[in-house]
Amino acid sequence: MIEAIQLYQRYNEHNSFILNDLNFVINRGEFVFVVGPSGAGKSTLLKLLIREILPTRGTLKVFGQDLTRMPRRRVPYLRRNIGMVFQDFRLLEERTAYDNIAFVMQVTGAPAGEIRRRVPQVLEMVGLSEKIWDRVCDLSGGEQQRIGLARAIINRPAMIIADEPTGNLDPVTSLEIMNLLRGINIRGTTVVVATHDREIVDRFRKRVIYLEDGRIAGDEQKGVYVRAI
Amino acid sequence: MPFNGLLYGVVEALRSLYRNKGMSIASTGIVVITLLMLGSFMLVRLNINHVTKAVKEQVEMVVFIDENATLEERESLRANLVSHAGLAEVRFVSKEEAMERLAEIWGDFVAGYRSAEDNPLPDSYEIRPIVAENIVALARELERYPGVEKVQYGEEEFVNNLFAVLRVIQLISLALMGGLAILAIFLISHTIRLTVFIRRREIMIMKYVGATNWFIRWPFILEGLVIGSFGAALPLAALYYLYDASVGWVVSNNLLFLNLIAVPSVMLELVKYLVPLGTGLGVLGSLLSMDRFVRV
Repeated sequence: MIEAIQLYQRYNEHNSFILNDLNFVINRGEFVFVVGPSGAGKSTLLKLLIREILPTRGTLKVFGQDLTRMPRRRVPYLRRNIGMVFQDFRLLEERTAYDNIAFVMQVTGAPAGEIRRRVPQVLEMVGLSEKIWDRVCDLSGGEQQRIGLARAIINRPAMIIADEPTGNLDPVTSLEIMNLLRGINIRGTTVVVATHDREIVDRFRKRVIYLEDGRIAGDEQKGVYVRAI
Repeated sequence: MPFNGLLYGVVEALRSLYRNKGMSIASTGIVVITLLMLGSFMLVRLNINHVTKAVKEQVEMVVFIDENATLEERESLRANLVSHAGLAEVRFVSKEEAMERLAEIWGDFVAGYRSAEDNPLPDSYEIRPIVAENIVALARELERYPGVEKVQYGEEEFVNNLFAVLRVIQLISLALMGGLAILAIFLISHTIRLTVFIRRREIMIMKYVGATNWFIRWPFILEGLVIGSFGAALPLAALYYLYDASVGWVVSNNLLFLNLIAVPSVMLELVKYLVPLGTGLGVLGSLLSMDRFVRV
C-alpha cells in the first residue's frame, strides 16, 4: 500500500535533511503509529504521502503509484482515496455537520440522493446522529473530531492518515476517537497515525515506526511509545 | 465536469455571495463606480468623436479654374483630381451653377450678371479630402497644377487650431479612460483576492479531500461573473437615464448645434464595451486572485 525506498526530503539546499534515507513498507489493512519528538519529520512524511510536497530524492509509492512521477492533475484522485484527519480538525466552522461531510461527496461528483443517504449513515457510525444539523462551531472538540473522522471515511477511502488526531482532546475523548479509528481499521482500511500520545500508543499495541532526526530509529510490531533498545 | 459539479458551483456561488453580503456589495460597488466613470468618459468621448467626424466631413476646399486655362489643361486637371488618391469627393461646379447659388442668396442684386458673358465667376471644383488634417498640404499641391487659379480652404490657422484642439481632447480622454480601466482592474482583483483570502481555509480543505482545481475555481468564477454583470448593468441603466435626460435637455433648449449621438446607438456602443469589460474583469479577477491558493 505504501512503499518508501531511500526517501530523502529537505526544503532547500542549505538545510539538513528532514527525512534521511527512509525505507519502509506499510501493507493493506495495517494500523501504524508514527512517533517521535517534535521536528523528527512526522508531519513531513504525512505531507509526502498525500503529495502535498515532493521528496527531494528517492521513491515513494502509494497504492502502487510512484508519487514522484504522478502528474499534478492526478493528485485530486489520489487524495479521494485517502481520508485525512487533522489535529485542528480543519472543518468549515460556520456550517452544519451535514454540510461538512456532504461537501466531500460533492467534490467527487456524487449524486444528491446518494449524499442524502450516506451522510446520516456515517454520522451514526461516529455517534453524532443527533447533531447532524448543528453548526460545527457549536460542538465540542471531541464532537468536531468525530465529524473530521466521518468526513475522512465518507468516500470509503483505502487509507486514513491522521496527524495528531488526539492532540487537542482530553484523554477520554482521545480514547473514543482512537477506538473509532480502530473500528475503521478492522473493516479493512489502512490507518496511519502520527502522534505524541504515549498513553494511546501504549494501550493499542500496534505497529510503531520511530522517527528520530529524520531517520527510522525503530520499527516494531505491537510496539509501545518508548522504543525497546 | 459532471452536472452535479456544475450545479454545486451555482449553488455554492450564490450561497457565498449571500454569506459574504458585505464583500459582494463592496465588490459590485467598486465595479459599478469604475464602470460608471469609464462609461461617462466613453459617452463624452463618443460624442467628441462624433462632432470631430462631423467637423472633418465639413472640411472642404475649392479649386478655382483659371479663366484662361486651355481645354487641355482643364481636361488634365479633371483627370488628375478624379484619380488623386487623397481625395474623397471631387465635384465640378460650373460658373453657371455658382451663379445660381449666388442668386439664391442675393436674388436681384446679381441679376445683371447672370448672362453667360457677364458672369464673373470662375468654374471650380469642390473637394473633400479623405484625411481632413491633410488639407493644407493638399491645397499646396493642387495649387501647382496647370490651369488652377487658386485654392481656397478657409482660414489656414483656424483649421490647424481646430485639429490641434480636437487631437488634444482625444488624447486626454483616451489617457483618462486607460487610467480608469487600470484602476478598475486593480480594485476588482483586490476585492476578489480578499474574498478568496477569507475563504482560503475552505479552499485548503477542498484540496485535501481531492477537489480538482476547476471544481474549486468554478464557484469563484461564477461569483466574479455575477459581480461583473451587476457591476455592468447598474452603470448602464444609470448612464441610459443620464444620457437620455441630457439629450432631452439639449433638444428642449434648442441647442441642436451640439449634435449629440442618438440614445440607442450610444447605448449599443456602451453595452458592447461595458458588459464584456465588467464580466471579463470579474472572472479574470477571480482566476488571478485565487491561483496562489489552488496550488496546494
